Amino acid sequence: MLKLNTKLIATASAAAAIAVLTVGCMQNSAEPKGTNTVNGKPTIDGGVIYPVENDKTGPYYVNPQVALDAKKIYNGRVPTANELKAWDKDVMPDGTGLPEGSGSVEEGEEIYEAKCVMCHGDFGSGGGGYPALSKGNGYELQKTLTNNRWHDPEADGPTRVFGSYWPQISTMFWYIKDGMPHPKSKTLSDDETYALTAYMLNINEIEYEGEEIDDEFVLNREKMLKIKMPNENGFIPNIDGPNALDDVRTFYANPTNFGAIKVKASERCMKDCQEKSVVVTRIQGAGISNFLPPMSDVRDLPKEDNKAEVKVDVKEVYNNACAMCHSSYLAPGSDEWKPFLAEGMETVYKKAIDGTEGGMPAKGGADLSDANFKLVVDYIVHGK
Amino acid sequence: MDNKSQHDKTIDRREFFRKSAAASVAALAGTSVMSSDAMADDPAIMHHVPWGQVWGDPVTKNRYGVPSKYEHNVTRRNTKLLASGNFRASIAVTPIQESMGIITPNGLFFSRSHGGVAHVDPNEFRLMIHGLVEKPIVLTLEQLKRYPSVTRTHFIECPANGGQEWRGPQFNSVQFAKGFMSCAEWTGVYVKTILEDLGLKPEAQWMLAEGSDNSEMGRTVPVDKVLDDAMIVWGQNGEALRPEQGYPVRLLLPGWEGNLCVKWLKRLEFSTEPWYCKEETSKYTALQPSGKAIQHFYANEVNSTVTSPSPEIPWTNLKDGDIVEIEGLAWSGMGTITGVDLSFDGGNNYVKANLKGLVLPKSWTRWSYMHTYKKGERLLLTSRAMDDAGYIQPTIDQEVSIMGVESVYHRNAVETWEVTATGEVNHVQMRTPGGIKNA
Repeated sequence: MLKLNTKLIATASAAAAIAVLTVGCMQNSAEPKGTNTVNGKPTIDGGVIYPVENDKTGPYYVNPQVALDAKKIYNGRVPTANELKAWDKDVMPDGTGLPEGSGSVEEGEEIYEAKCVMCHGDFGSGGGGYPALSKGNGYELQKTLTNNRWHDPEADGPTRVFGSYWPQISTMFWYIKDGMPHPKSKTLSDDETYALTAYMLNINEIEYEGEEIDDEFVLNREKMLKIKMPNENGFIPNIDGPNALDDVRTFYANPTNFGAIKVKASERCMKDCQEKSVVVTRIQGAGISNFLPPMSDVRDLPKEDNKAEVKVDVKEVYNNACAMCHSSYLAPGSDEWKPFLAEGMETVYKKAIDGTEGGMPAKGGADLSDANFKLVVDYIVHGK
Repeated sequence: MDNKSQHDKTIDRREFFRKSAAASVAALAGTSVMSSDAMADDPAIMHHVPWGQVWGDPVTKNRYGVPSKYEHNVTRRNTKLLASGNFRASIAVTPIQESMGIITPNGLFFSRSHGGVAHVDPNEFRLMIHGLVEKPIVLTLEQLKRYPSVTRTHFIECPANGGQEWRGPQFNSVQFAKGFMSCAEWTGVYVKTILEDLGLKPEAQWMLAEGSDNSEMGRTVPVDKVLDDAMIVWGQNGEALRPEQGYPVRLLLPGWEGNLCVKWLKRLEFSTEPWYCKEETSKYTALQPSGKAIQHFYANEVNSTVTSPSPEIPWTNLKDGDIVEIEGLAWSGMGTITGVDLSFDGGNNYVKANLKGLVLPKSWTRWSYMHTYKKGERLLLTSRAMDDAGYIQPTIDQEVSIMGVESVYHRNAVETWEVTATGEVNHVQMRTPGGIKNA
């Protein structure tokens, strides 16, 4: 009864999806029911959809004129070739969108030390709430993905980092180019992005043509397309190739594949449902309870917010805005400040307020006046 | 009375509560509750209230209204556990213990971003749709909003809602245990309506949705969803989207993972092959005990929780015999809620709870059960929802036996809230230690 066929839509614009959808089996004015098949195939997500019947989709009325008029509405304009080029920058596993260029592991390490290490840690080890980028050999760590702490909570869990988990290198290249460095994204050149990607492969001990990628290795487009990540085949359902959507539909048609349960309402358990082995499991210790702001349901007047100019709790600002990076690097009172202090406090203030190329966001992202932020800088520089 | 000092009022108020307490004990002892002789007079009634004797604000104040100052504790909250990137790649969750009905106010809608909340200039907003379409297009915001609109009520849920508790309960809070979600009435245009004229090519299988924010957040969407109910939305509860929700425009895929509903939307591209975006492989994939992870895990499965009582707002003030409403939410990204059962013993025996209000597809649905409270009773309140796709919430043991405990995402097993003898409420789990062995 429902026809939702992509081929129809393109081959004949008259066969518009909505128009086709309205030709469903006609019921009375009763609310149309959901269906879990489309054109005889299961739905893509295992759920139901609500085809339009009697000008309704589920409980909602729809204006039937829209289906007739929509194929005549083109409210915008055609993008120019340059506009397409400017925005169509995604990088796909087959190399679509991957630019020419090159960069070495060594160059990548230099950029990493200058722009990434303050958040992602030495050799991508992570820290301060930022993701780790490596935990060692990607091939070995890929084997930990079968670790599961269900029977033994003290056991080692799986390690999910770039080398052990990510199926494609293109994802890393694309994300570095678009999203990194996090406080100042889209500032790296293609060559710098190749260099950083090469360094990521190096610290995860990924191989190129059977050899581990070393410091001398230079990554370029051609080489990148040859490298297979250790966990390339670690994901289900299949999403590649011309039958991908059928594979996805088949996967979600089976509740067991994703931990779901189907039951007829009349057959669900209402009495004595539980195994004898089930016990009340409690939160260990205080659990996670450092909520911001602290939990309260009291109806009272808020404490006057006089932080604006009067007084700033520098330690609180440090903990909220600075500690992520500055607990490990340029920590409060650290000797690492010496070369910076040699440039004079005014320079330090200016860099802190305006932000730096090296990854320091303007005022660390804190919403404070310059005067108050200088107090925070004083605290981080002197440790008091 | 009118001229009493604040100090006197305080004394009055203390006296009132002291006598009231005595009166309620008397009531327990059999004295008629209609007899008010033993009660003190309530100063909140006996005094003129301060706001009743002076001018209020002129209507020219707060041209965009704000909540009462007294409601300042009803707010989104964070935890440092989920604070990556100085709270830029982070989440602030909704106080569902305070939620009413099925709509989340815009200021309380949960907020999750991967590079901070972007502030898009609507004059510079452009949406590009290209790739495997006959006619690509660039739209300004004004042009986009000229398409015929639809308005739908849908929840959006982060698939990590409850994801910190696969191995055991961690949050003694319903806001944090289940508040990675909200529900709103959205206004926008069906993507399929725009595609009518653009003409999707038959070989198109996937759509990339990309945001303009700092992280250029992207996800791959199958065309099945695009041609069903995917929307490009600009309206949220009758006003423009909030910046936290992607102002001026986000993608809305009803019922599916929140991160698929890309915010600050700038580009839709159609292709034969999927993109392998950062957030669809490195994150938002559910690792199973086999070592294989489920990718492209779209719909948030049928789910529910008790929201009242809660650890935040417990039953410590209830008296023996009080009749109290147990309330909760149920939702399914796979369809419409068809029923909710409630257990008082942690899921061994269930009774049918009652749905109330509007029951809409892929929307929060409110349920209710009237209960007569017995002082000192100990309860394990467990709710269990079903949807019209045929799904029912699994027990923890059932879900873990298939998914293990490392998958982070899509945990929808039943939740249990313990009411202690003193009326405190604790988040607990009903499960077999170590998991069931035949798994």
